[in-house]
Amino acid sequence: MKQWQTIFIDEWRLWRRSYLAVSALVLFTLLLLATSIFTGLRMTEEQHAREHQQQEAEETFLSQPDRHPHRMVHYGHYAFRTPPPLAMVDPGVDAVTGQSIFLEGHRQNSAMFADERAAANTGGFGSLTPAKVYQLLIPLLLIAIGHGVVVRERESHTLTQLLSQGVSGTQIVAGKWVALASVALISLLPLVIASLSASTAGDSLSISLALVATYALYLLVWVSLIVLISTTTQTRGVALGLLVLFWITTAMITPRIGVASANATHPAPGKIETELRMYADKRELGDGHNASDPAFEAFRTNVLAQYNVDTIEELPVNFRGMVAQKNEADLTELMNQYAEEKMMQELHQSNHLRSFGWLSPTLATASASQSLASTGLQTHHRFLRETETLRLNFVQGLNQVHIDKLSYSDDINRNNDEESSRRVRVSSENWKVLEDFEFAPDQAAERWQAARYPLLMLLIWFVAFTVSGMYCAARIKP
Amino acid sequence: MSTVYREFRFLMRERSALLWLGLAFMSATIAVVLGLKEVSEQRTTIADLITADQVEREVVKKDLADWGSAAYYSFHLTYDEPSDFAFAALGQRDLSPWKHRIRMLALEGQIYESDTTNPDFALIGRIDFAFVASLLSPLFLILLLHDLRSRERAAGRLDFIEATASGKMIWRTRGLLRTTLLWLCLVLPLWVGGIIAGASLMVLLIASAVVLTHLLIWWLIASWVANKDYTSAVNLVSLIGVWVVLAVITPAAIKAGVNVAVPIPDGGEILLTQREAVNDAWDLPKQATFEPFVKRHPELADYAKIDTPFEWKWYYAFQQVGDQNAESLSHAYLDGRIKRDVITSSLALLSPPVLTERLLQKQAQTDVAASIAYEERVRAYHADLRSWYYPKLFKDVEFETELLSLRPQYSTD
Repeated sequence: MKQWQTIFIDEWRLWRRSYLAVSALVLFTLLLLATSIFTGLRMTEEQHAREHQQQEAEETFLSQPDRHPHRMVHYGHYAFRTPPPLAMVDPGVDAVTGQSIFLEGHRQNSAMFADERAAANTGGFGSLTPAKVYQLLIPLLLIAIGHGVVVRERESHTLTQLLSQGVSGTQIVAGKWVALASVALISLLPLVIASLSASTAGDSLSISLALVATYALYLLVWVSLIVLISTTTQTRGVALGLLVLFWITTAMITPRIGVASANATHPAPGKIETELRMYADKRELGDGHNASDPAFEAFRTNVLAQYNVDTIEELPVNFRGMVAQKNEADLTELMNQYAEEKMMQELHQSNHLRSFGWLSPTLATASASQSLASTGLQTHHRFLRETETLRLNFVQGLNQVHIDKLSYSDDINRNNDEESSRRVRVSSENWKVLEDFEFAPDQAAERWQAARYPLLMLLIWFVAFTVSGMYCAARIKP
Repeated sequence: MSTVYREFRFLMRERSALLWLGLAFMSATIAVVLGLKEVSEQRTTIADLITADQVEREVVKKDLADWGSAAYYSFHLTYDEPSDFAFAALGQRDLSPWKHRIRMLALEGQIYESDTTNPDFALIGRIDFAFVASLLSPLFLILLLHDLRSRERAAGRLDFIEATASGKMIWRTRGLLRTTLLWLCLVLPLWVGGIIAGASLMVLLIASAVVLTHLLIWWLIASWVANKDYTSAVNLVSLIGVWVVLAVITPAAIKAGVNVAVPIPDGGEILLTQREAVNDAWDLPKQATFEPFVKRHPELADYAKIDTPFEWKWYYAFQQVGDQNAESLSHAYLDGRIKRDVITSSLALLSPPVLTERLLQKQAQTDVAASIAYEERVRAYHADLRSWYYPKLFKDVEFETELLSLRPQYSTD
């Protein structure tokens, strides 16, 4: 047997006999199991519930009675963001952004009813998910059982004995590293199970494995750091103090400083401020409900010329519908401009925040994890864009019905009496302009793309700690 | 007193203790500075919005021709001004809206709009004083106290020190001295921030007492563990274990438990009910709208009828009926949130960090109760708008643009 293997086995024997190590392991195993099961059940339930709600919303829309097509524009439709299977590991922004969005004419609503808003307020960490346990708490477990691996031998003078027996520093430290790494990898078991079950539920296997690998790499960053500190300090107390200091600053404080910094460097105006700015632009576009709005003067001249008629009454199509359609198109272009601007601002903020991963491996991991699980900000933005397309398509589809299937004279006289208001109803068959909506998780390639940069950060953290550890191990002093 | 002074001198020579105290002081200072900055930004935002909102309403006013379109096109800003102590605990202000721009359409469709910040931010959370006081300070205290006794034992001095009667007292003196110093490192920045922000003396005193009590609880826990004659490392690991249980696991368990135990209606259902009611009204006989409407406004009963397919009064009547239809759901949603909060506040006794955070939020008026109170103010203001417009809409009062300046104003009291 190689020397490092003996050391590895010895370390495990010690942990097995240590009341502290065993109770720490039991506590964290229970915690991992509890959060994995709880989050798994919750997200699966959410997924089914939202798929069901989506279907119901579509059925409700299609079952609306005959009415004026513009009424359906205002009746609107709902879109639900179905969580991807890997959300059972990392639900990401799911709880802090609304999960559904109301789609209607002339407006882009925000996603409403974020779970977190109505949830019990316990401050601080909020809900525990497997992702959070791995990011924040498993490092504490590793610190608790691993901080003494080398320094303990130094304190009890057994390190001198080992070295004098001809065991090299590298062998000793390697054995300790492998022992602690094995604890880290064993702790990944619940994650492996959850990820594999996510891939049977439809997520790609390679992505599931990549997520496991991300957390493995993250925990190994900690293993290398812990062994490095344990190799270079003189007492367990100092080793433990330094490691806890590193944990507090990188896992607890740095991400929050990152938020403050991103907020300060990339201030983003709120929704109301943006809307107020947009109103001025909006007025120039005119009111699509009012075909005689002077804003549509030029449009009318064009349309009349195109059909070669003198008055809008002579048009073979409904001019009010045309105005509604043109106005919706112009308005959407304007709203998209503002929406894209807002999303860009958020993206800049998040990129700024992400660069703090160079100071905090926890943050780098969180970012890679969300990208791989398809539960990050960018996925939410894609949801907003896709629902906007859905919105525009059904609104313009209804406006087309308005143009083609409703006579202009009936339309302008609709408020004369009950009979005339009945005449402007079109068949509910026309509501089929609504497309099915199903929000799919990001493509594997996109997830990789987004996770690459934070993964590189993690890798560099790992290399830096491991290489320094190897350097110090080779020159270890008793 | 001389004992305390001697202990103080010892402490000043101990680098690790100074490191933890320094770190605590730095975190508290950063938290206070960032909190002050955030609050002043929120105030600026509100001030800017008040102006922009007025300008916008004046612009809109020019084109108004009747009461109905005046109500339709005029939005009104409502806002929840941060308190003078909000800088210390931003609490629900990060999650729940503190500004709405509403108009006289069905309120249920507007009041849940949220003007959210970047979700990545909400996910990570903020570094505010409440975070430092509730989650970080126990860790700093644990680091300061875990090896008081065990270190002396490791150095072989324990029996010597404890041999005298006053020797046994020394742990308490040492422990309390460090607890007090940590407390000062936390509350000094808080007081400076409080004075800058103009927070009331009472609030500052209560907040300081909350932080002190929290630290004393952790001092008790740390002393209990430290008296067990384990090594420093075992003490520290056990205490961090206690911290994980009290500061992370218990709050998460409370949260999950309360959310399961007190189900609330899906918010989307409220919206859906309201939309259905409003949209169905177009196809229903007008009487179906006016009947439930008149139940709430018997004084308008004589005017609640129309002969043409469209009149504004009918339009606003069915907007209100939309709200009325969603009322039971909306109440259930509100009651559910209140009930969750009430239960959480008793369960918070199980976790000193949660209790601390919640007490600080309460002082800062950034707790759930405060955000619900704002929601209620918005509802009351919306009701004021309705009672101002309804008589004009229903009794066919002649439209005068000048009268619009008499519309109810939103006020924060």
